[in-house]
Amino acid sequence: MTKPIALAIKWVLILATMAGILWIATRLAQAGNTIAVIIAGAVGMGILAIYATRRSVPLKYLVPGLLFMILFQLWPVLYTVSLSTTNYGDGHLYSKQESVTDIVAQSVREVPNTPRYKMSVATKEGGDPTTADLVLLLTKPDGSTFVGDKTGLQPLAATGVEKTSIGKITKAPGYTVLTAKQANARSKDLSAIAVPTTDGGGIKPVGLSEAFEGRATVSYDAAADRLTDDATQPPAVYAPKDARWVNVADPSQSFPQGWQESVGLANYTRIFTDPTIRSGFVGIFIWNVAFAIASVLTTFLLGMLIALLFNDPRLRGKAVYRSLLILPYALPGFVTALVWKGMFNQDYGIINQTLGLSVDWLGTPAGAKAAILITNLWLGFPYMFIVCTGALQSIPQDVREAATIDGANAFRTLRSIIMPLLLVAVGPLLLASFAFNFNNFGLIYLLTKGGPFNGADTSIGSSDLLITYAYRLAFSGVAPNYGFAAAVSVVIFLLVALMSIPGFRRTKALEEVN
Amino acid sequence: MHKRALGAVAVTGVAALALSACGGSSPTTPSNTGAAGTSKATTSGTPETPSGTAAPVRDANVDLVIWTDADRSKAVQKYADEFAAENGVTVKVQIATDTRTQFKDATKVGKGPDVVVGAHDWLGELVQNSTVAPVNLSSDVAGKFLPSAVAATKFNGQAYGVPYAVENIGLMYNKDLVPNPPKTMDELVATGEKLVKEGKAKQVLSQFVSKVGNAYFAYPYLSAFPEGGIFATKPNGDYDPNKLIVNTADSVKGGEVLADLGKKKILSTNVDDTNQDALFDTKAAPFMISGPWSVAKAKEAGINYGIAPLPSLTGGGAMQPFLGVQMFYVSSKAKNAALAQEFVTNYIPRKDVQLALFEVGKRPPALKEAYDEVAATDPDVKAWYEAGVDGKPMPNIPAMNSVWGPFGQATADIIAGKAGAKERLDAAAKEIAANIAKG
Repeated sequence: MTKPIALAIKWVLILATMAGILWIATRLAQAGNTIAVIIAGAVGMGILAIYATRRSVPLKYLVPGLLFMILFQLWPVLYTVSLSTTNYGDGHLYSKQESVTDIVAQSVREVPNTPRYKMSVATKEGGDPTTADLVLLLTKPDGSTFVGDKTGLQPLAATGVEKTSIGKITKAPGYTVLTAKQANARSKDLSAIAVPTTDGGGIKPVGLSEAFEGRATVSYDAAADRLTDDATQPPAVYAPKDARWVNVADPSQSFPQGWQESVGLANYTRIFTDPTIRSGFVGIFIWNVAFAIASVLTTFLLGMLIALLFNDPRLRGKAVYRSLLILPYALPGFVTALVWKGMFNQDYGIINQTLGLSVDWLGTPAGAKAAILITNLWLGFPYMFIVCTGALQSIPQDVREAATIDGANAFRTLRSIIMPLLLVAVGPLLLASFAFNFNNFGLIYLLTKGGPFNGADTSIGSSDLLITYAYRLAFSGVAPNYGFAAAVSVVIFLLVALMSIPGFRRTKALEEVN
Repeated sequence: MHKRALGAVAVTGVAALALSACGGSSPTTPSNTGAAGTSKATTSGTPETPSGTAAPVRDANVDLVIWTDADRSKAVQKYADEFAAENGVTVKVQIATDTRTQFKDATKVGKGPDVVVGAHDWLGELVQNSTVAPVNLSSDVAGKFLPSAVAATKFNGQAYGVPYAVENIGLMYNKDLVPNPPKTMDELVATGEKLVKEGKAKQVLSQFVSKVGNAYFAYPYLSAFPEGGIFATKPNGDYDPNKLIVNTADSVKGGEVLADLGKKKILSTNVDDTNQDALFDTKAAPFMISGPWSVAKAKEAGINYGIAPLPSLTGGGAMQPFLGVQMFYVSSKAKNAALAQEFVTNYIPRKDVQLALFEVGKRPPALKEAYDEVAATDPDVKAWYEAGVDGKPMPNIPAMNSVWGPFGQATADIIAGKAGAKERLDAAAKEIAANIAKG
């Protein structure tokens, strides 16, 4: 390729990347995420500096990979870690200030024995509908008309006032009635309006055609940092405690709206000190490891045996068999898992019916574990079959012939020649399969939901994996607690990482066979 | 070398300027303040279906955005169009697949809808997360609804929406096998066992139990006794999360009934959501405890079904199901709060709207006059309503999230005979209280 063309292609690509980053930055700016915009800008400049100049050639090769690793690997991990030090979860989504605003706004109650007004939103005549102060044109049930603004309620002379059949004012001298669209555009101002009345309440709009007299029972004292609810006698005082507003006199009462705050390492402390979590952890961990190893071994052995069988040149119609065997892999795992669940049913399942058994597969710990392994074998062996077939076909025929000539029998060839060569190719995949099964949430959740549960503790199931256990732990409280769930995820991540290190060492050793 | 470095700095600097300029300027939102008369009422006419299971994407130029499920979307769309024409605004109806979670998440990032159609038991969670706004109906409009439906829209004394339908479970029976529905559980068991003996049926009753239990279907056994149930209520009618009653003497009586029925194989943990309808629809079971969602399948299977209130238990009264109320919520972060409130308070309490929503869901309407009209012609609706007439709304307090698992499992264990009713319900109460305390 001539140099100018190469240069042109390079610059087109750089510009395209820049345009892409610009677009992302625009979207981020729209979302109001300043830091992300700055980071996007920095990445853009970095890319420009690396690819537009002729320096740092190694970086030109490394940057795409690095970027994607940071974006899809490092960032989620860091985000999870940072989340794990907060109490982020249901009831703790927003800031403390927002919780106060929300609690006060939601405490507005209709003042008893006050009329409902028909209402129109208007401005003083000649005012700009987008900015002018809003007034409410109100009609009492008896037909008398009023004007309400922030100073109070004034009677409105009936002359020149036009009303609809239900009493909503459509025209009044001196005022411009806003259309629904105009009024809606001022929703924020409308919700802030409360026409003061003599009894301490305020006339507030409901939608665009009705108003009621309401009063907020909760008030906030910023200096003392207390909420006071005078709906009860004596008034209840709420003070902040554990990111919630808790009743000072009766700590069992609190407002449901809390706020997000940093809790330091409290989530981790809870994992390691909570007696329920500790007692369940060891048993679940052992089953988790056993499940992952057994799943990998059974699926690999079955897949490999079938692959060896079908690799025999004497077998005819291999294409048909192979496609049939890949079917379990092609069907969505969610569907198959549910079908298996039905087949394992003690009374109505096909397995007990055809075998004449009465095994309570899903109701006993051993039965549930067996059912899970059988289902996973069915789900997993086609994958192993595919990768083994591929690997087997890449083993040169002459190696086998050499073994045969040296007098090795079939088993010996398999054990000393084919297996080592096969494992070089398949070893990393076995590790990946182990890591996948270690966190095989879907299968457990669809088949047993972690059950059966023994004793009176529904937080520890006998077929739970750490991941299903963590899920239940995080979501079994009153509200999903993402901060705690993140902490459990970090612990699981560390466990899997620690276990994978020896595994990767081992695959390196296998490669040296080559 | 110097020159090259300088070039790099220059290029990078320009890029930096361009990017920061873009990042600094806040986007100008198109103002929605078209002059009166010039704004044209345009709607998409058909509900927008999301691709896959992703949350719908909000259209920034629409004056009112409503989220609903696929079944209700057509009916909602019709009245959204009418509302749009009447007020000269644009309304968009979008179909959400997992409304509860998507509503919460989308609202958090400022992309939520203005109005959302959902179930009343989401309320506590939505209030807790500051996601819904109070909807203040006048007392004469609120008085037109079934009292239980209005009660269900309230949390902590405040009303948060307008109801349109009520649903509950009842007893479905096969009229070909059982001409008259049994009034008591003993009668049901006797009739069913006779049919099994005669070979006309394979089992007595089909009820969703499952290995992990189902609190919703097990609750009526407890509520048949005066002090039985899950939470006691406060004087204002709200459920009190601090007063658990799953292990009161009366609740335990309900538990004993579950144990007895489990021993007789009337209830079995092997019946769950995957096979309960099939058992009734293949005539294997003459009785099924289920809700309106099972009717379509029974009809399709050609079953001559009847619907009756749940039977009463010996020593107690009739089993009382939980009521589920369907309602329209207004988002607390609604961009178009005024129109949203206007639509929900003026359109949903209308009889024709309630009837249209009935046509697509076949649940008894929450508006009394709409219900009366439907009940006169549709015996199924009347039967469902009567089966739930004394029922209480499902608790909408966030603490209920802590009940489903432990209480469900306790009932499954009692039915399976793994533990006695008293000890198992005591243990469940302990676990639920601990979960609630965790917060």
